Amino acid sequence: MTQRIRSKISRGSGELAILSLLSEQPLYGFEIAKQIGERTGGALKFTLASLYPLLYDMEKRGWVEGRWQANSAGRDRRYYRLTPGGRRQLAPLRAEWRTFFQALDSLAGVSHA
Amino acid sequence: MPDWKKLVREHIASSALAAASREEVVSELAAHLEEAYEASLLQGLTEKSAVEFTLQEVDDWHALAARIQRARSEENPMNNRTRSLWLPAMANLIVAPGLLMILQKLAVQPRVLWIGDMAMVLYLPWLVALPIFGALGAFLAKRAHARFVNRLIVGLSPALAVLGAFALVLPVSLVVDSHRLRDFPFSYFALTIFNWVVLPALALLIGTLPFLRETNSLARTEA
Repeated sequence: MTQRIRSKISRGSGELAILSLLSEQPLYGFEIAKQIGERTGGALKFTLASLYPLLYDMEKRGWVEGRWQANSAGRDRRYYRLTPGGRRQLAPLRAEWRTFFQALDSLAGVSHA
Repeated sequence: MPDWKKLVREHIASSALAAASREEVVSELAAHLEEAYEASLLQGLTEKSAVEFTLQEVDDWHALAARIQRARSEENPMNNRTRSLWLPAMANLIVAPGLLMILQKLAVQPRVLWIGDMAMVLYLPWLVALPIFGALGAFLAKRAHARFVNRLIVGLSPALAVLGAFALVLPVSLVVDSHRLRDFPFSYFALTIFNWVVLPALALLIGTLPFLRETNSLARTEA
C-alpha cells in the first residue's frame, strides 16, 4: 500500500471519527483525541500533530465550527460543533466506509480476522 | 511546567498566518499540550517524564506549522509551493548570477588555474559570496516552511540551474554541431562542470547547511 493511499485512508477515517463524535456533542480538541482513543480501545489515536490540521481543514470546508468557551474547569477551550454542512457529510461518509469494509471483507475476510 | 504558549509560539512564529489567527492557534495548541501534560501527571509520571511524553504529541513542528498554515489558509496549495520553493529559488537565481555579471562588468579579473592545457576560471569574490546566497535562499524557504528537500534545492538552485543548462545544451549540441564537439575531450566537460557546478554547489552548500537542520527549541525550553 503506498504512503499516499495509507494517508488518504487515515485522513478519511479521521474525518468520520471526528464528525461522528461531534454529532453527539460539541467537544474541544483534547477531548476529541481522548474520546476517540478511549472509544476505539486505542486503535485510533490522534496526537496534536494529526488532529488540529484535520480540524482546521474541516472547519475551512464548513463541516465544523470552533468557538471559544470555558470548560467545566473554567478554562477557555475552543469547542467544535458540527455544522449543518458537516451533518450532511456524515451519512455519505458512513456509507462510503461501510462499502469499503464490506468490499475488504469479501476480499480478505477482515471481519473474521 | 514548561511555558507551552511560548513553546508553540516559537515553533509557528514564522508561519504566514495572520497575527490574530496565529495567536488563536497558539492558544489552542498550548491548551492541548497543557492538558496532555496534566493527564500524564495524573497517570503517575514524574514531571520530567510527563514533559517528555507530552512533547511526543508533535514529532515535526516544521511539518505541523506547514499543515496548519495550509489548512487555515484560503489559498490553494500551489501558492504554498510558490512561497516555499519557487520564490526563494527565483531570488537566489537572480542574485547569484547577478553578482557574477556585476563582477564581469566591473572588469574584475578572474583567477585562472591551468590544468594541462585546460583553464579553470575562478571568480573568487563570487565564490566567497555564494555561501551567503545559499543561506539567503534556504532561509527564505525555511521561513515559508519548505521541506528539507526544497530547502536544499533552493539553497543550491544557482548551481542546479547551470547543471540543468549543461544537461540541456550538451545533447542539443551533440545533434546540431557534433563534429565540433568532438574537438573537446571529455575531461574538458568534466572540468567545466567542476568549475561551474560542483565548486559553486559546495560554496552554496556551506551557507545552506545551517538551514537544513530542524530547529528544535523543545530542548531550549527544557534547558
